[in-house]
Amino acid sequence: MLRYVIRRLVMLLGIVFVISVGSFYLIHLLPGDPAVVILGTGATPQNKLILYKQLGLNRPIYEQYFTWIGNVLHGNMGTSFISQTSVASTIRAALPIDVELIVLSQILAFAAAIPLAMRSSRRPDGPLDRILGATSFTLLSVPSFIIIVLLVLFISIKLGIPHTGPSSYVTLSSDWIANLESLALPAFTLAIGSFVVYYRVLRSDLIATLQEEFITMARSKGISQRRIMWRHAFRPSSVALLGSAGVNIGGLLAGGFVVQYLLAIPGLGFTLINAINMSDYLLVQGIVLVVSVGVVLINFIFDFIINIVDPRISRE
Amino acid sequence: MSENEKLLVVKDLVTTFATPGGPLPAVGGVSFDLDQNETLGIVGESGSGKTVLSRTIMGLQPRTNVTVSGSALLNGFEVVGASERAKRQIWGTDVAMVFQDPMTSLNPVMRIGKQIDESLRVRHGMSRSSAKHRAIELLELVGIPSPQQRYSAYPGQLSGGMRQRVVIAIALAGSPKLLMADEPTTGLDVTIQAQILNLLDELKERLKMSVILVTHDLGVVATRTSRIIVMYAGRIVEMGTTRDVFQDHRMPYTRALLESSPKVASPSHTRLVTIPGRPPNLLKLAAGCSFAPRCAYATDRCRQERPELQPAGDPGHLFACWNPLPTTRGATPQ
Repeated sequence: MLRYVIRRLVMLLGIVFVISVGSFYLIHLLPGDPAVVILGTGATPQNKLILYKQLGLNRPIYEQYFTWIGNVLHGNMGTSFISQTSVASTIRAALPIDVELIVLSQILAFAAAIPLAMRSSRRPDGPLDRILGATSFTLLSVPSFIIIVLLVLFISIKLGIPHTGPSSYVTLSSDWIANLESLALPAFTLAIGSFVVYYRVLRSDLIATLQEEFITMARSKGISQRRIMWRHAFRPSSVALLGSAGVNIGGLLAGGFVVQYLLAIPGLGFTLINAINMSDYLLVQGIVLVVSVGVVLINFIFDFIINIVDPRISRE
Repeated sequence: MSENEKLLVVKDLVTTFATPGGPLPAVGGVSFDLDQNETLGIVGESGSGKTVLSRTIMGLQPRTNVTVSGSALLNGFEVVGASERAKRQIWGTDVAMVFQDPMTSLNPVMRIGKQIDESLRVRHGMSRSSAKHRAIELLELVGIPSPQQRYSAYPGQLSGGMRQRVVIAIALAGSPKLLMADEPTTGLDVTIQAQILNLLDELKERLKMSVILVTHDLGVVATRTSRIIVMYAGRIVEMGTTRDVFQDHRMPYTRALLESSPKVASPSHTRLVTIPGRPPNLLKLAAGCSFAPRCAYATDRCRQERPELQPAGDPGHLFACWNPLPTTRGATPQ
């Protein structure tokens, strides 16, 4: 187990290194000359050279990388040329909103998927299983931007629930109830996508597990159906569930921008789209780096959880 | 002997599976009984219904697509038709099962100690520490070395023989009166097989249990059972004391089974006798004796009319055959 974790950690560091090189290089892929951007088109070659020296752009690229990564590790990701604010502080303001949205949506998704999958797997092709199968398939094929628009139409506009409409985000520190209201619709929308995946994965794994001989063995001990489900069937059936949760949560961090953008919720996704629109390259670079490292970390954590849940994996 | 003293009385037990090909009578009307402290062998080829029979007796058949009729009275409890909730009361305490394959019958992601003491805590309300204490005692009883450490092992960390000992420990946790052993040695190495069977024998004596030993291997039951039931196509075709079945069998199928198992006395390189043909398709059972298509003695009557069990010479010795083999009673045993 320890050896496995160390091996994965080494791999993690390797991946993070590659990501950092990629994010750093991103800025070099951009067309145009930074000196021209800063000094304007009329800059003389001498002035340009002075600026290159000031910015360190005359040094070899690997030295530039090490200077940059050293700054990043100290929490300094530079200052945006556009807004003149520090990239790190912009990200620090936006990231908690993403985390809160993800946590809320995952609580909703798991709370619905686990009990429903347990119910329907007991009678595969029974009435409940068929209804949920059809419903989840329908939900799977409706894109989130349709769902969020319909929700806004009915809940914010028809029912008039406060703080639920577009551009009505309230911070957690100012009023937590209003904050929850303002995140309810996007969290619910994101939860639907996760729920469908979790429900279908867990249902089919549970059906397979319930055929196993050790379930009959557990039954022959005279313990309740509920206990058989939770203690004997759930854990060996949850490997694929956790695996898809890792991928899914990473996906929400990287791709949750649709609902954020539609409702103007100032999370990372919303900030990223604005940064792209305004050509705020340093901010784009910072967000790409933070999101990529976040996705890798989330997957690492879920791999670790899977190993605890199913000890067979690290033994093999 | 009155039926009250019997631990188990089975009458006309029928287990039918609903399959896409129609109803499949895996057990087709079986009656027998079992005394306290007795070891009964149930023998038959794969697909003869012996596993389904042993599960139906304790009510452990699948919960869907199965119908059971007849009666199985286990320590005064009617298993047939009982609800799952009612059966939970007898599972573990009146009857427990040692499953066939220890590679699949243990939960792979649960520590073995937890699998043993689960029923002690949940059913018998033992505290965590006294249940653990008892589980370690059980591990010791079934001959697992350093039980303290093994308590927190996962099944994947044990060998097949050790796993089967754990399966036995789980079955013994509730001190059952009847232990069902369904092919308890099939998944194990030959050297381990004898160890497990001897362990079962020893535990039976020590804990005063009755045992039903289900197997396809006549060598397994020869020295360990008092009586044997021979099954074919879901029915009993011969039943009697172990001596009767081995030495005075009347049903040709019993003889074929005996001849097809290897014997120590035979010279080396003796070809084993095989039974021609295949066990019948239970979806399309013919009217007559199910064994008739494979039987050297079959007549037209065998193919048209099914023989019922009839008494042979010794009390309790029954066979189902129109053209039985001659009795060897009185003759010198081979």
